[in-house]
Amino acid sequence: MLRNLKIYVPLAFFGVFLLLPFLWMLLTTFKSNQELLNTPNPFWIFHGTFSHVTDLLTQTAFPQWFANTLFVSVASTVLSVFVSYIAAYAIIRLRFPGSEVVSTIIFLAYIVPPAILFIPLATIIIQLHWFDKLWALVPIYATFLVPFCTWLLIGFLKNIPRELEEAARVDGASNVAILWRIIFPIAIPGLISAAIFSFTLSWNEYLYALVFMSSSGNKTVSVGMTSELIRGDVFQWGQLMAGALIGVLPAILVYFFFVEYYVAGLSGSVKE
Amino acid sequence: MKHLDRREFLATSAAGIGAAALAGSFPALASAADAPSFRPEKDAKLDLLRWTAFVPSDQTIWDENTKKFTAATGVPVSIQSLAWGDIAPKAALAAQVGSGPDIIMGWNDDPFVYPDKLVDMTDLVDNMGKAHGGWYDNARSYCYDQDVKRWVSLPVGCTGNAVNYRKSWVKEAGFGEFPKDLDGMLKLARVLKKNGHPTGFALGHAVGDANSWTHWILWAYGGKQANPDNSIAINSAETVNALEYARQLSETMIEGVAGWDDSSNNKAFAGGRIGMTMNGISIWYNGKKDTPDIFPDFANVTPPMGPVKTHTVSNNFTSAFVFKYSKFPNAAKEYLRFMLDKPQADRWVTEMKGYVTPALKAYAELPIWTSDPNITPYRDALASAKYDGYNGKPGKAAAQALDEYVIVDMFADVCVNKMAAKDAVRKAETRLQTIYKRA
Repeated sequence: MLRNLKIYVPLAFFGVFLLLPFLWMLLTTFKSNQELLNTPNPFWIFHGTFSHVTDLLTQTAFPQWFANTLFVSVASTVLSVFVSYIAAYAIIRLRFPGSEVVSTIIFLAYIVPPAILFIPLATIIIQLHWFDKLWALVPIYATFLVPFCTWLLIGFLKNIPRELEEAARVDGASNVAILWRIIFPIAIPGLISAAIFSFTLSWNEYLYALVFMSSSGNKTVSVGMTSELIRGDVFQWGQLMAGALIGVLPAILVYFFFVEYYVAGLSGSVKE
Repeated sequence: MKHLDRREFLATSAAGIGAAALAGSFPALASAADAPSFRPEKDAKLDLLRWTAFVPSDQTIWDENTKKFTAATGVPVSIQSLAWGDIAPKAALAAQVGSGPDIIMGWNDDPFVYPDKLVDMTDLVDNMGKAHGGWYDNARSYCYDQDVKRWVSLPVGCTGNAVNYRKSWVKEAGFGEFPKDLDGMLKLARVLKKNGHPTGFALGHAVGDANSWTHWILWAYGGKQANPDNSIAINSAETVNALEYARQLSETMIEGVAGWDDSSNNKAFAGGRIGMTMNGISIWYNGKKDTPDIFPDFANVTPPMGPVKTHTVSNNFTSAFVFKYSKFPNAAKEYLRFMLDKPQADRWVTEMKGYVTPALKAYAELPIWTSDPNITPYRDALASAKYDGYNGKPGKAAAQALDEYVIVDMFADVCVNKMAAKDAVRKAETRLQTIYKRA
């Protein structure tokens, strides 16, 4: 009994702490405007309404923003994880001169904040004529996703026993064959971890989507919602929370289906 | 004034083209429009970045007027809207990389951050001023750069501020009308609080609301951030008096104002949790839609006067600037002239019902301002307004001080952190000295 209390009471507190924002989003989404302004019990819905959801889906460009974000997040995740996988393998296995320095530089590249990088990055984007092109966000996001994923995968791939590769090499496997047929199946948990992180970072990204896109048709969820649903000092709380609730679904689904791989990815590749 | 349709425009264009080539403008149009026109460049097209409309009618009428402009001139205009707080970083990026929207509608001191990168708007400002009764003083404060000695932005107007209250609660408190001075307002606030209707003035980092009311009180007592030579003037008896007043007013406020953002007082007022606040007309306008049952009890009044015996309103001022990298500066000027010219601006201002108070004095005569006594205070928002950094030189330093909430923090130190007024003033003085030295 005492043991259960020790486990479940802290867990309950932790659960409430984590889930309260979601509960608030849910309540706000389905409350009427009148109830949002004044209610005897903020944790209850007295007059439920779907109007915030329907208004968001029919009277704003939210479906377009959602599609844009999904495209950019999936594409930048695929690109970044692929590049990072190859880069991480090269750094830890090929042992070329300066591989340690490259590894450190990649990590440093990740810790430089986007607020500093966006102006020089903008100069490049303009010279390439990539400004206001939705697909351009894919390589742009890769600039912060690749360093992060590479750093994550370096730690993961380091734990894969070298003997596996050496055995394959004895059998005549090339580097590409080793990368694809030997390392890849073992690295799947690590790759999924990197993909989940990349997807979440891309989905939530704000600054680059704000400054590098200009037309309404190229807005992502985060930029679209703040630019269309916050009108000066008037916040469309119902629609904002409805958008946040729908917007968070892809991330929840990704975590829901891949959580086991994600945990395995964080805890290492091959267990002793 | 004669309305110019597309056919007339083309005919006039053909007749006036020779003179226009010499003058760089369209003198033939001067007789047809309120202010002389500019001749758009060949194959011109424009990108406009503006703040998201606060009311749907703003967006609708602005877009309709833009279509009229395109029909009349053949110049297509692409409009991007962003939340008002996102305009500054986007404009800064455009200035830095030399590429981006042709026209940006920014806020307050935005043009002073990069005056040398902006097109000279002096001719347009002069023409518009002559045609529409002149400009309010705030227009010069926010759009004329004293360093480069030219107008770097075209004044558009402000989202004005007024004091908002509940009529029945003021009556219940024993006041026949809203007090005209700050002492009377404090007496009213105390009774309101006693009756269960506290006041609510933002003391968090609320760009609009917190800056507005704190500057109003500071100026009402004669406090000044800087002198005309930009030496710091905040450390004065007047500032201390303003802070002492704010401390007493804060005792009548609802709990939590220290964490309020720009939306908080709107929500609290509409929810009936506060009886008095200061805001733009949005608080009244949205009441009609969101809380129709109590909306008739909402009222707005010009902020009461302090010891200086003049109104000292603080507003959010918006203006439009054109970057030198634009290939179509004349088209941009013509677009702005067209949009603020009477046939277009009359309807824009009227349909917004007071959301933006134009910086051109002639528009104060529009019937919309007197159609409801609750709109009238917003008509007068610019008549006696002061500017960020008053009484110093408008520019980068004043913008930076506003950006860092020096004045708001000084008031919060006294009202929330219970710091002695003199200590709060000294702290603000040190911060201002650092900012003004750096700028």
